[in-house]
Amino acid sequence: MHRYVIGVDVGGTFTDFIAYDRSTQTLRAWKNLSTPEDPTTGILTGLARLVDPESIETLRLGTTVATNAILERKGARVAYVTTAGFRDIPFLQRGHRQHHYDSSWQRSRALVARRDCFEVAERITAEGHILQPLATASLAGLVNELRAAGEVEAIAVNLLFSYLNPVHEQQVRAALSAGLPDIPISVGSEVLPKWKEYERASTTLADAYIKPVLQRYLHAIGERLRLAKVPVEVALIKSNGGEMSVAAARAQPVQLTLSGPTGGVVASAAIARTLGLPRAVTLDMGGTSTDCSTIIEGEISFTTNFEIEFGLPIQIPMIDIRTIGAGGGSLAWIDRGGMLRVGPQSAGARPGPACYGLGGVAPTVTDANLVLGRIDPANFLGGDMTVAIAPAAQALATVGAALGMSVEDTALAVLRIVNNSMVGALRTVLLERGHDPREFALFAFGGAGPLQVSDLMDEAGIPVGVVPLHPGQFSALGFVLADARVDLERTIQLTSNRFDGPRVAAYLGELVVTATRSLCADGYTGALEIRRSIDLRYLGQNYELEVYFEFEAFTPTEVASLWEGFHAQHEARFGFQIPAEVIEAITLRCTVIRQRDKPVFPPLATRSEPLLARSERRVVFAGGALITPVYAREDLRAEDVLAGPALLEEPASVTVLAPQHQLRVAPTGHLIITQRVPQEA
Amino acid sequence: MDFVTMNILDSTMLSICREMGITLMKTSYSTIFNEALDFTCGIASPQGEMLSAAEFCPAQIGGMPLLIRSCLMEIPLTDIAPGDVLVHNDPYRGGLHTPEHTLFCPVFVDDELVAFTVAIGHVAEVGGMVPGGFPSEATEIFHEGIRVPPVKIKKRGEDVVEVWKLWLANVRTPRHNYGDMRAMIAGVEQGSARLAEIVQKYGRGVFRQTCDDLLDYSEKRMRAEIAEFPDGVYHFTDYMDNDGVSDAEIRIEAHCYVMGDGLVVDYTGSSPQVRGPINATLGVAWSAAYNAVLHLTDPAIPKNSGCFRPIKIIAPRGTVVNVDYPAPEVGGNTETHPRIAGAVIGALAQAAPQRAMAGEGGTHLNFVFGGHHPRHDEYFACYDIETVGWGARADADGNDATDSINGNCRVMPVEVFETRYPWLTEAYRLRPDSGGAGRQRGGLGTEKIYRCTEGEITASQLTDRHQHQAYGLDGGLAGASGMTFYQAAGGQKWQTMVEAFNKRSTSKWSNVTFRAGDRVRILTPGGGGFGDPLTRDPARLEADLSEGVVSLEAARRDYGAAQ
Repeated sequence: MHRYVIGVDVGGTFTDFIAYDRSTQTLRAWKNLSTPEDPTTGILTGLARLVDPESIETLRLGTTVATNAILERKGARVAYVTTAGFRDIPFLQRGHRQHHYDSSWQRSRALVARRDCFEVAERITAEGHILQPLATASLAGLVNELRAAGEVEAIAVNLLFSYLNPVHEQQVRAALSAGLPDIPISVGSEVLPKWKEYERASTTLADAYIKPVLQRYLHAIGERLRLAKVPVEVALIKSNGGEMSVAAARAQPVQLTLSGPTGGVVASAAIARTLGLPRAVTLDMGGTSTDCSTIIEGEISFTTNFEIEFGLPIQIPMIDIRTIGAGGGSLAWIDRGGMLRVGPQSAGARPGPACYGLGGVAPTVTDANLVLGRIDPANFLGGDMTVAIAPAAQALATVGAALGMSVEDTALAVLRIVNNSMVGALRTVLLERGHDPREFALFAFGGAGPLQVSDLMDEAGIPVGVVPLHPGQFSALGFVLADARVDLERTIQLTSNRFDGPRVAAYLGELVVTATRSLCADGYTGALEIRRSIDLRYLGQNYELEVYFEFEAFTPTEVASLWEGFHAQHEARFGFQIPAEVIEAITLRCTVIRQRDKPVFPPLATRSEPLLARSERRVVFAGGALITPVYAREDLRAEDVLAGPALLEEPASVTVLAPQHQLRVAPTGHLIITQRVPQEA
Repeated sequence: MDFVTMNILDSTMLSICREMGITLMKTSYSTIFNEALDFTCGIASPQGEMLSAAEFCPAQIGGMPLLIRSCLMEIPLTDIAPGDVLVHNDPYRGGLHTPEHTLFCPVFVDDELVAFTVAIGHVAEVGGMVPGGFPSEATEIFHEGIRVPPVKIKKRGEDVVEVWKLWLANVRTPRHNYGDMRAMIAGVEQGSARLAEIVQKYGRGVFRQTCDDLLDYSEKRMRAEIAEFPDGVYHFTDYMDNDGVSDAEIRIEAHCYVMGDGLVVDYTGSSPQVRGPINATLGVAWSAAYNAVLHLTDPAIPKNSGCFRPIKIIAPRGTVVNVDYPAPEVGGNTETHPRIAGAVIGALAQAAPQRAMAGEGGTHLNFVFGGHHPRHDEYFACYDIETVGWGARADADGNDATDSINGNCRVMPVEVFETRYPWLTEAYRLRPDSGGAGRQRGGLGTEKIYRCTEGEITASQLTDRHQHQAYGLDGGLAGASGMTFYQAAGGQKWQTMVEAFNKRSTSKWSNVTFRAGDRVRILTPGGGGFGDPLTRDPARLEADLSEGVVSLEAARRDYGAAQ
């Protein structure tokens, strides 16, 4: 019987699995070593460890194949076709540098070679009119040139102002696909129908660049599953946190650039809803990096300003996840002026932190947690790996000597500094959108998040912390909770004094139809949820605020409510509004969601026996060392309440509860941390 | 010193500066602000020390210390109250040039003024003789737009309406200027509130002590860097083409005295100040020296006034590097700054060749224009920046198409540009062969062609390096010159502005009227090469040829290619 929905998050070191058993409504979580040279093997052996392949219904897969192909420049040879006069746009980029004062800086390499860039005579104006018709007669010559170039594996077509009028792009695509039927083509007006030619070029090139790689990967997975007689439906997790079919992923792989990290945000949103927490900020802290994102009134925050590396934008709508280069493996060091620094260098998996005993001599955040008693050397990663305190202490002593500090004080200083980096990241995602941390709950997960959550709450001024179930496999849990989701947008450029309601209604209607069709074509039928929004700004500004609305007809009253909503949002975000100012509408957006059946978190039993600590040990907190009880998370029951200090151990993670905090176990097993003594108002 | 608190406070202040910058970027109106990001946000002590600055515009960062001190000489601290916001743009009061407006907001904790938050931004329209703020034929400061000495634009939280009225009455695009000023005010106010929370948390005493320690720390790091340069006197001279109103070339001289862990930069020998608007204020001369030194030292040193303590600057009065009132100076900040910084780098390259880079294009092209948009029915003004080739390094080619060293601006997208202004861009591309040949090749400049589509546009330009090219190092060749051409509607011939309009300079010209069909073509300079071109790795030359960035002809001429 097909009863499992399985989320699989393939990471660099581990592949994480979450299996939801529909028949028993239970969840299981486990890890398996990744096999980077052949990811499918790691997935199959991991699956075989705990479930009968025949009983799997759906596999939801998060993949880093797309991201890695770009970062490692291992994508396809791409040809770029554009408006005459503009073939250098991919190389001109935008002209700014990543850092000031760094004379060794080197600009990001384009995903295409200049010799593979081709021009076609045509021109559309800023009003979307055809100024110069496409020289269709020249297209046959272009096909021949591309053929002559040899070994071109994919084509990106991006003409000026195609977001206003795609007709020339469509003609070019038709001619190319007729002449070169085996070469996949990505088209700017379809990948990103939005203004700014470089950003659209970069996004369209990325799509073309990874298309052959993704197509091979998806083909290989399909074949291997077939051979292994695992008759499952495979879905892929998109950068917007929704799932898509293999066919859709083959057609627009750029949707997969931020696949894996979305799971933790999706899961946090779902759990925040069940816990009645309207606003959450997520902290996914791993070995080398930490991801932050926000959830506002239950909704995940989106961005269209993502850059996969400096100067290489990929601007499709995706979950707004900010990454900083600090995590459990970040190295502590003394700089040339004698200051203690943590990161951005990381010990990685090898040699890893000093405590791994694999040759690492520089102390890491993990080493600091170990010498402070927060991690049990005998139970690291659930005992799958042994670590030793002595080399960690030795490494910290070396750094401490330069500061005149003891090993424990050095370890505390390392944690203060790494926590401050985390607080910076949390504040950035909150304050950039104008949110007050005091209204938020901090969701901490990833291998290292639960270790820091208590400290971070106080430092960032966030009153509630949550350590959800399965924090070590949380992204995979998010995949199991994903919906099918399509986000579309279109640049419109209208002003409030000359607003054309019927035209906007028509555009929006088209967007909704396109999104709905694409879901239906992908096999997602049934009731759909539709969200609409419009990006507005004062005429003259260059950045917009997104205003949501629920109407379809743009009557004067409805339109007036949009403007009012914008003024109010501007005031809330930036502290001022310009009341009589003309407002410019830039982008229309729609999101269409097909809800999927989701796991129900089974309630925990309530307590019948008293809760006993499994052990106790000395743990150093900012205020001093305390003998601290150690609990096993599996021993917890619904509505248990624990006062800090305490440690809660589970196979892939440890939650540190500081002395000033207390913890309550939600009925579904998530841990909720708050101040032990209510703060004075 | 408490190094842990220092680390935390330093990164917290930097994040406050960045948050201020994001507010400016997101709410401002001028494209030079919000697309090009020509602004800086910082934090200063009440004594005028720069404590922290976010990475937006380098020229402004180096200029901040003198700006703050000049401002406080005029408005005593005792006159500043919570809720006040000050504005200032006067080049003759520590400013950099007229378009650059500086906003200050005091940070009060328990009734004590503990710091200022500062935003410096380039406002595109400031009145004066041309729309867009770069009158390249100006001969006095009054031609360059409205001067604002330090005044309060908000008092105790309320707008000072008289100041707003006076300012907005003197510019061509009051609606945009209003938006830009609001953006800067919002930025410094948000930063001030946030910093007050932080100072409250740590206590005023700890905050003051830690800031002092941070300044000392940066000083110590900078001294350690300078100590690595061999002691000696290093000299370099570069030239500017002309000042726009006469033909004489202008000499920029830098003598760098490295003495232990200290550095003296002496500009003695630079030309006397000129009639046209490329004179640099003292603030620019300081900023350019700091900028050059920061490019040759560890980029990780926290950017505060402490970095600048080991650097002494001699800029004789009445010269092009320390102009006297009331000469014009608007181009000093954009064009003369990179030439000064380039001269300092050229000098110190002899001390630290492994860290140096050859000359970069050294101009922002400063194409400015304005007019009445027939379809939008509104006056527009725009400051358009273009990029240049950067200099090659000992171990790498120069970057192509990058903003000159004293800015870090983004080029406006063609699709944004044409939506806002009645120009059609006919081409935007790299300039093959513009990078100076070398073992490491200089970066490429760019080419852009605009055609006026309707109405009338009044355009001006203040650029340089039409005659004096970006220098090569260690046997590398110079980059290609920049060029600007005009073509009348229906014509075939490209002419310089001297040929077409009898202007004095091809690179500095004011108030040319473009009508439908008239074109302008702007070619930007390339960067200098590093090392003998004959020693370039043949495989890399081959790649340059196949990528079309070096022509076969140039390969034969400059690189000794066989055929």
